[in-house]
Amino acid sequence: MSSKTALANATIAGSLAAALAMIAAPTFAGPKLPQPTMDKCFGIALKGENDCGAGAGTTCAGTAKTDYQGDAWKYVAKGTCASIKTPKGTGSLEPTKS
Amino acid sequence: MPVTYEASFAKALFGAEPALPPGIDAHSAAAPARRFAIYRNNVMASLAAALARRYPVIERLVGGEFFGAMARQFVIKHPPRSPLLAQYGEAFADFITGFKPARELPYLADVARLEAARTRAYHAEDAVPLGADSFAALDAEALGDIRLLLHPSAAILRSPFPVVTIWAMNSGELEPQPIETGHGEDALVVRPHLDVEIRALPPGGATFLQSLADGLPLRDAIAAALADHTGFDLTGNLAGLIGSGVARAILSPAAAVAEKSDMAIP
Repeated sequence: MSSKTALANATIAGSLAAALAMIAAPTFAGPKLPQPTMDKCFGIALKGENDCGAGAGTTCAGTAKTDYQGDAWKYVAKGTCASIKTPKGTGSLEPTKS
Repeated sequence: MPVTYEASFAKALFGAEPALPPGIDAHSAAAPARRFAIYRNNVMASLAAALARRYPVIERLVGGEFFGAMARQFVIKHPPRSPLLAQYGEAFADFITGFKPARELPYLADVARLEAARTRAYHAEDAVPLGADSFAALDAEALGDIRLLLHPSAAILRSPFPVVTIWAMNSGELEPQPIETGHGEDALVVRPHLDVEIRALPPGGATFLQSLADGLPLRDAIAAALADHTGFDLTGNLAGLIGSGVARAILSPAAAVAEKSDMAIP
């Protein structure tokens, strides 16, 4: 083993020791412990949200509306996007004129 | 059922023009077209709802009305190819990139990528992450040569936008407040136990983890991270590597693990 490699290993070992000390500190945000009382809902969706396929869509929500393919885009983004500044400025989207 | 019939049914279901597939009849009314339109609408609404469940932060960012309309456009272009609803919407981020009404929100597609990675991590194989004791037991003489196997749920996402902050503020993890999009954030998505965790990676951290994921030895991964960002902090990144549970196993060299374990582990 060359001295260069040995030096690198020593450097890594020093950092590893410091990292292990950091993890041992109570303030370190490590992975949460397993929650054995909670069930994982396999193959469906996020837990608590496993009703999405059999929910609103399979009731008669919006019954008989057939105009969803309309190409005209008339919706404005009204969510929290207005609080996020981009180089082009903030604010909601303007309706697209097409 | 002949394939040609299924194809014509699917075409009628997702086609631009309302059309009745051949062979559809109503038992009493003389209005099968109207009844099929109801069915078609319910298919559309349920898939849009599934998309909203998978991308709740996107829905919050643009609002329900915008999201619903965007989702329907997506469903028409990308009907399901698998019966697994949990996997539906993989192409949503790419769709958003090309979706003109959303182009003023350039970060939107990367936030969608983060949400997609989160669901994939949720459904990934379970694996017990490597604990701190396994790292403490490593042979210091061979540290640079070790190769790691990362957790099957792990995903690394790089973005020129602060996607982790945007996600956290719109998912209840952080208090919402105005955000500047001037800086990028790299994300680590991993499910070490039952809960999916999303962390912002420190400078060079994405290159570091990606290099390890690609099978490079630790020494080369460190070199790659330093080349990517001179401010790469080895101690902080090693703490993140161990503390996040993203490491699943130490693959090699066998000597580094075996020699030490003969002494340290009974």
